[in-house]
Amino acid sequence: MNLFWLLVHKDLRAELRRPEAVVSMVFFGFLLLVLLNVALPPGARLAPESAAGVLWVAISFAAVLGLGKTMSREKDNRCIDGLLLSPVSAETLFAAKLTANFALIAASELSIVPLFFVLYGDTFFRAPAVLAGVIILATGGMAATGTLFSALTAGTTRNEALLPLLFYPIVMPLLAITVKVTGMIFQGEPLAQYVSWLYVMGAYALIFTGAGMLLMRPVLRQ
Amino acid sequence: MAIGRQASFSGAPEAGFLAVREVCKEYEGRRILRQVSLSLAAGDFLVLFGPNGAGKSTLLGIISTLISPSSGRVEVGGRDVSQDPERYKRRLGMISHHCLLYDHMTALENLLFYGGLYGVADRRQRAEELLRAVGLHRRRHSPVAGFSRGMRQRLSIARALINDPDLLLLDEPFSGLDQHAAVGLQEQLANLHGRRRTLIMVTHQIERGLALATRVAILAAGRLVFYAARPQVTAADFKNLYQELVGAPPGASGAEKR
Repeated sequence: MNLFWLLVHKDLRAELRRPEAVVSMVFFGFLLLVLLNVALPPGARLAPESAAGVLWVAISFAAVLGLGKTMSREKDNRCIDGLLLSPVSAETLFAAKLTANFALIAASELSIVPLFFVLYGDTFFRAPAVLAGVIILATGGMAATGTLFSALTAGTTRNEALLPLLFYPIVMPLLAITVKVTGMIFQGEPLAQYVSWLYVMGAYALIFTGAGMLLMRPVLRQ
Repeated sequence: MAIGRQASFSGAPEAGFLAVREVCKEYEGRRILRQVSLSLAAGDFLVLFGPNGAGKSTLLGIISTLISPSSGRVEVGGRDVSQDPERYKRRLGMISHHCLLYDHMTALENLLFYGGLYGVADRRQRAEELLRAVGLHRRRHSPVAGFSRGMRQRLSIARALINDPDLLLLDEPFSGLDQHAAVGLQEQLANLHGRRRTLIMVTHQIERGLALATRVAILAAGRLVFYAARPQVTAADFKNLYQELVGAPPGASGAEKR
């Protein structure tokens, strides 16, 4: 097993043994979807863009709960020192943490997205393959940004409070585009209408993955 | 033999395995280390003494690359370790104040994980051997979360040895160990030293440290105030010297933590 998979396997095994992150993410996502649904007048139907907003509020709020977990686990017993003392490179560590965070968010989405369609109507359920692509791109962007900022805040005493403060302003453009594109999918617009936005989402994920790879070493040294 | 401060102090680096060259560390305006220089040949066992807050752990942190020096450098085999840290780290082991172990994993899983990080060939066999050596083989499938402090310390020793390091850094390795485990660790360290591994140990236990050392040093207020080859120093002389340079030796009043 190479170093990358060794680190990913370790983080995912920790979550499987004590699924604190995924359980809290799914529960929080469910709670948001149910509360927003209850707030709607009986029989009212959401506009496609509003429905997309509801879905991504639930996913992004749930995601931030889990994003700090893989890095904060390294604080216990100063395990991060064990990683820094080993010959694993900062780039490999970032890539492994990003993958583990992606897997955690994706696991929560597997519960949150179906519940969204149950509560808000299956009329929004269109072009599932394209919707899956949008979810993967947005999750990649959130995981890359969140991994970088969770590494930045892991050394602070109030990292769980600090992470959302740093994460949301940076991830807001990605979320705005994602909501826009998801709304267009819900409306049944053809792919050609929003394909350029998908490139922007892909570029966002790549830029923050690259930034994380470059910045992980100085961030960890701090 | 009475040892004078001027006669015995010799921290200037010579050609050797490891050289610490004029290392300074400042943190939030406070000078933690001031122009510390020392050198070790392969197979040396340096024991570093000094009062709390003298900068001993910071010096180990800098040698391990966990802490960046404000100025100065650490060289191994004549090469600055910051130039190729990954290569240097393959040869390094460290026992720190923290056990660096994952609570959710079992003892064996922890060693297999660290063995994987260092690319240890046949890491399962190596892990099992080390677990036997530290007396934890019967608990190898138990999660570390249920381990006592002493058991964690013993597993931490096994973790630090998983890559059979050429250079082993030990920050108060006897703390938390019962008498039996402490003797076992002392034997392991003597065994490692016998295999020409280079060791640097920080401890407050003067007798135990002197029994193992080939070189001894005293760090006080961030300065290396004494550095000498062990054969030049008897335990009684060293305690007197320590008192002269630093104050009462650890344990003299019974107040120091052992």
